[in-house]
Formats: sequence, structure tokens, C-alpha cells
Amino acid sequence: MNLVEINQISKVYETGGEKVAAVNDVSLSLLNNEFITIMGESGSGKTTLLTILGGLCKPTSGKVIVDGLDIYSLSQNSLADFRKEYLGFVFQAFQLVPYLTVEENVMLPLAISDLTKKQKKEIVDSILEKVRIKDKLKRLINELSGGEQQRVAIARALVNDPLIILADEPTGNLDSKTSEEIINIFLSLVSESKTVVMVTHNKEYTRYATRSIELSDGKIIKENNISLSAITSPINV
Amino acid sequence: MKLYNISLQSIRRRKSKTIFLLFGLILSVALVVMLITLSENINASVSQKLDEFGANIIITPKSEQLAINYGGLSIGDVSYNNSQLKEKDIARINSIKNSKNISTISPKLLEITDINGKKTVVAGIRFEDELRLKKWWRIKGKAPESESQILIGNNISAGRYININDSIKIKNEVFAVSGILDNTGSQDDDFVFMSLSSAQKLFNKPEAVSLIEISALCYDCPIEEIVAQTSSAVPAAKVTPIKQTIEAKMTAVHSFEHFSVGISLIILVISFLIVFANVNASVNERTREIGIFKSVGFRQMHILKIILFEILIISFLAGLVGYFIGIASAKFLLPHLSMFAANELFINPAVFWGTVLLSLFVSFTACIYPALKAAKLDPTVAFRYI
Repeated sequence: MNLVEINQISKVYETGGEKVAAVNDVSLSLLNNEFITIMGESGSGKTTLLTILGGLCKPTSGKVIVDGLDIYSLSQNSLADFRKEYLGFVFQAFQLVPYLTVEENVMLPLAISDLTKKQKKEIVDSILEKVRIKDKLKRLINELSGGEQQRVAIARALVNDPLIILADEPTGNLDSKTSEEIINIFLSLVSESKTVVMVTHNKEYTRYATRSIELSDGKIIKENNISLSAITSPINV
Repeated sequence: MKLYNISLQSIRRRKSKTIFLLFGLILSVALVVMLITLSENINASVSQKLDEFGANIIITPKSEQLAINYGGLSIGDVSYNNSQLKEKDIARINSIKNSKNISTISPKLLEITDINGKKTVVAGIRFEDELRLKKWWRIKGKAPESESQILIGNNISAGRYININDSIKIKNEVFAVSGILDNTGSQDDDFVFMSLSSAQKLFNKPEAVSLIEISALCYDCPIEEIVAQTSSAVPAAKVTPIKQTIEAKMTAVHSFEHFSVGISLIILVISFLIVFANVNASVNERTREIGIFKSVGFRQMHILKIILFEILIISFLAGLVGYFIGIASAKFLLPHLSMFAANELFINPAVFWGTVLLSLFVSFTACIYPALKAAKLDPTVAFRYI
């Protein structure tokens, strides 16, 4: 069974009396353990497709079914719960809360959970260890490098143990070495049965993906399936 | 970590924003507290002084009157069941429940007698009480200090050519004129005043009193209550409040009260606008942050709680600090603002809780709209900032 079914979705914006289709009749299925890259020029609809998939932007038409749930038929609260349970977001500009420490940023999604303080602490510690930033636990965000901030953002995306990680150009603000480290983290997540959907401009990363999609003017113009065995070995980090 | 931790960290680490909002609220709260406290103190003080200024209750012996007609001809009113007031009634008046509200009791014995061949009213009074009651009296010479001295009204002096230190014979007793009352424009100008005990002896009416004037402090107690209590303490007396005097006093007191309330309301409106503008700007500034909260699965209620909790903590702190600053300012300003001001500042405990609750209420009502706006922010809009 597909983890995500995107059926004929379109998103039309109206600007200055003119209708522009950011996403135009796109259909797509995602499986477990997939690492999908979405590529395309600026304005091709990559980010809009990602936010539609993330339950943050209601499509003008079409359906998004995740784990059997038609997410846009859900109430606001249920949609929020869906995001909490199923999704983890990673953004190009990291999007961390500046007045919270590393630990607090990672713990942010758990602020609305019923877990005890100790349980939350254990989860956060194990994830920070996984993304190798545990030594900066009490630091404020502006005291970290770009790579470190992105690791924190990934840790925050993972703290609720979501099935799907949605990453919008996560390496866009990073140097090549740090970018490879981030990609390596994503690959390790895929090996742990997570599905990673990554929007990127960098064609290099398609070699790590199980599937690569290219968008233009809101339409899928190219889709490459690569078998898992063909994925390049993880980079040493 | 809980939602309130996010609010607390925001307060702690976004110092300039917090300080700006806190300062604005503290200033407003302090001004309101200062105004209310000053107003209460000045009102009480002015009221007390006004209450002391002249009588507002008059006690006369109870009597009943009957109009008699005989053969269709009116032959006038006849009084019967006449009762007498006695000096011991003063002790009874002093024992009423609201005796602390009684500022001065001034008994009088009024008699008419011949002085130099003319009918004259002699008033036996207790000079100390009468002078306290009639602060407008101005005396040439001095008030009587012994039983053989008298004070005469201005008309008596002018009409009969009597001067200070002259001697006057009243009912075969000789009295020395120690002082002449300046023109008061009242019946006092035609009276001869002597001590109450002298008058009682002279007219052979021991313990007798014709009427009693009372100055009651009615700021925090309705005059009707004092009148009722006095009536039951002295059943033989007719106790009458002087409404005109009371109304004039209350009007003076309330006009200042209304002024303070008006200013306080303006300050509250300004505080409301400060909080509203601040939270509204903060929400617009924090659109990105709200987008992050939405992306990690926060519901509208969670975002609303974070913002409201943050504002309510700041408001509570502002309420506390503002209260103490307001009280301190009132204490400092009171002696400079009113010639009536008491040395001791009266602090109404209700103002403390009222202030804290008002601060919370004003902030809550001011921030509820921007907070709701934040909570309901369309994720698409929030994510444009991401």
C-alpha cells in the first residue's frame, strides 16, 4: 500500500486578476523507505507541492491521501494532529525559534505531548546524539553554525518519530561538506523506514534518491525510479 | 517543556519587547493606582474638613402641635407633650454605633431676657465646641475664658454701643465683654454668648439644653444612619439632618472623584491601546514563528495559549510593580497636592486586587484579537515567511 497518494492536485493562485497554476494536475504516490528528490527551476511549484503534501496549503482541486487519510477533509485540529504525527519539516533557512536553546527547539513538538519531562528529555538526547549535536544542548541558535542549525532542525523534525520528512532545500544555505553530512543523515533515516521528500536545486543529490521528480510550470515533466540497491553508499560523516 | 515554557522563554529572551510592553503597562497601572489613591485620600481629607465645617445635624426637643379652631376662628397652634433635652443626652449621642463619625457636639441653651431694657437672646454654649464648629467666626478681643465673661454679636455691640471690656448686667449678674463677634450675617449677630453652665445657673435651668448641633463625618457613612442611631439613643429628641449642607459637601467631594475616574478611564484606554499595538505588532513580527509552531503540529489553541500566557504574565508583573510604584508616588505627591492632605496615606486594600485584575483584564481584552489572529493565521501565509 502506498504511504501517500496525491491525486490530480492543482493549486491556482490569483495575482492581479490573473490565475497562475503553481501546481497543475499532479499525481504521485510515495512508498515507505523512499528518498525522493523534487527538482525544478525557481517558480516551478516544488515548494507548493511540498507544502500541499505537508497539509499546510490546501490544493484548489485534487486529493492528498496519507496512510488512508484524506488530509484536506480533516478539521483544522485534526490536520494539526496529522502534521504532528506523520510529518517532520526541514527548511532551507532552518526555521528555528531564536529565543529557545538547541534542546528547547528540538523539544518544541513535544511541548504538546503527554510525555513526562524525563521521557521528553530521553527522546531529545537520543536524537541530538543521532545528529551529533548533543554537546551544544544549552546553546542559543545564534551561537551555532549553519550546519549545526540544520542538524537541530532535522532533530526537531525527527523528535515525534514521523513517517515522512519533508525537506525544502535543506542544503541551500550550507557548504558542500556540511550538505553531504545532511544528506547522509537523510539516507540513514530512509534506512530506518522513513520516507524523505527533498526539494533541491542540486542535481548531484539525485544519485542518492530512490526516485527523482522534475517539475516545470507546476507539472511533472520527468520521473526517474532508481532501485534501492543502486543508491550510492552513504558518505562518511 | 510545556507551552508555558515557550512563553516564559520568549519573555526572558526577547528582552527589549518585554521591557517595552512591561514599561508601558507599569506606567499605566502606576498612574491609575496613584490617581485612585490620591483621589481617595484627598476626598476623605476634604470631606472630613467639610464635615467639620458647620453642623449637619440639629437636635431639638420633640413636641407635638395642634392647630385649634374655635367657632370657625383660628386661635393658633398649641404645643403639647413638650419634652426637654438634657446635657446627659450628649453622652447618649456619643454612645451610638457610628460615634466615631461624630466630629463635634455643640449643645446650646437659648433664653430671652432683658438687657439694657431690650429683649435679647442669650445663648449658653460650650465655647470650645462652638469655635470648632463655626470656623468662620472672627472675634475682636477674645473668646470668654471664665464664667463671668461673655461674647456679644456684632449687632448687639453696634446697636447698644457696647465695647470690649465693658460690663453688662444680665438678671442682676454682671458679665464682662471679652470679645465681639465680627458680622456673620446670621442670627449670631444678635446673640449674647456665655458659657453653658453660666446660662443654666442664670436662668435656673440646671442640665437643660435647648438644642444640640452635631457635625458628623458622613464621608464613609450615610448621614441617615447617624440620624437613625441618634433618634433611638435620644427618644425625646427630634433629629434633623441639614440636607442642604450635606448635599453641598457631597457635591464638592464627588466632583473631584468624578475627575479622577475620568482621568483613570483615559489612562485605561491608553493602556489598552499600548497592549493592542504591541501584541498586534508582535504577531505580525512573529508570523514566521507561528508558521514553525504550525509545522510541528500545534493547534490554534496552542498558539493562542502561548501568546495569552505571555501577555498575562507581563500584565500580572506590571500590575504588581505598577501598584507599588503608584502607592509610592501617591505617598510622595499627596503632601504637595492638597492643603488638606493627611500625613498618613490611607491605602485601600481593594485597590491592590482591583489593580492586578484590571491589568490582567485590560491586557487580555487588548490582546485577544491579535492573539486570535495569530492562532488562525493561514499556514500558507505563515509559510510565505519561511
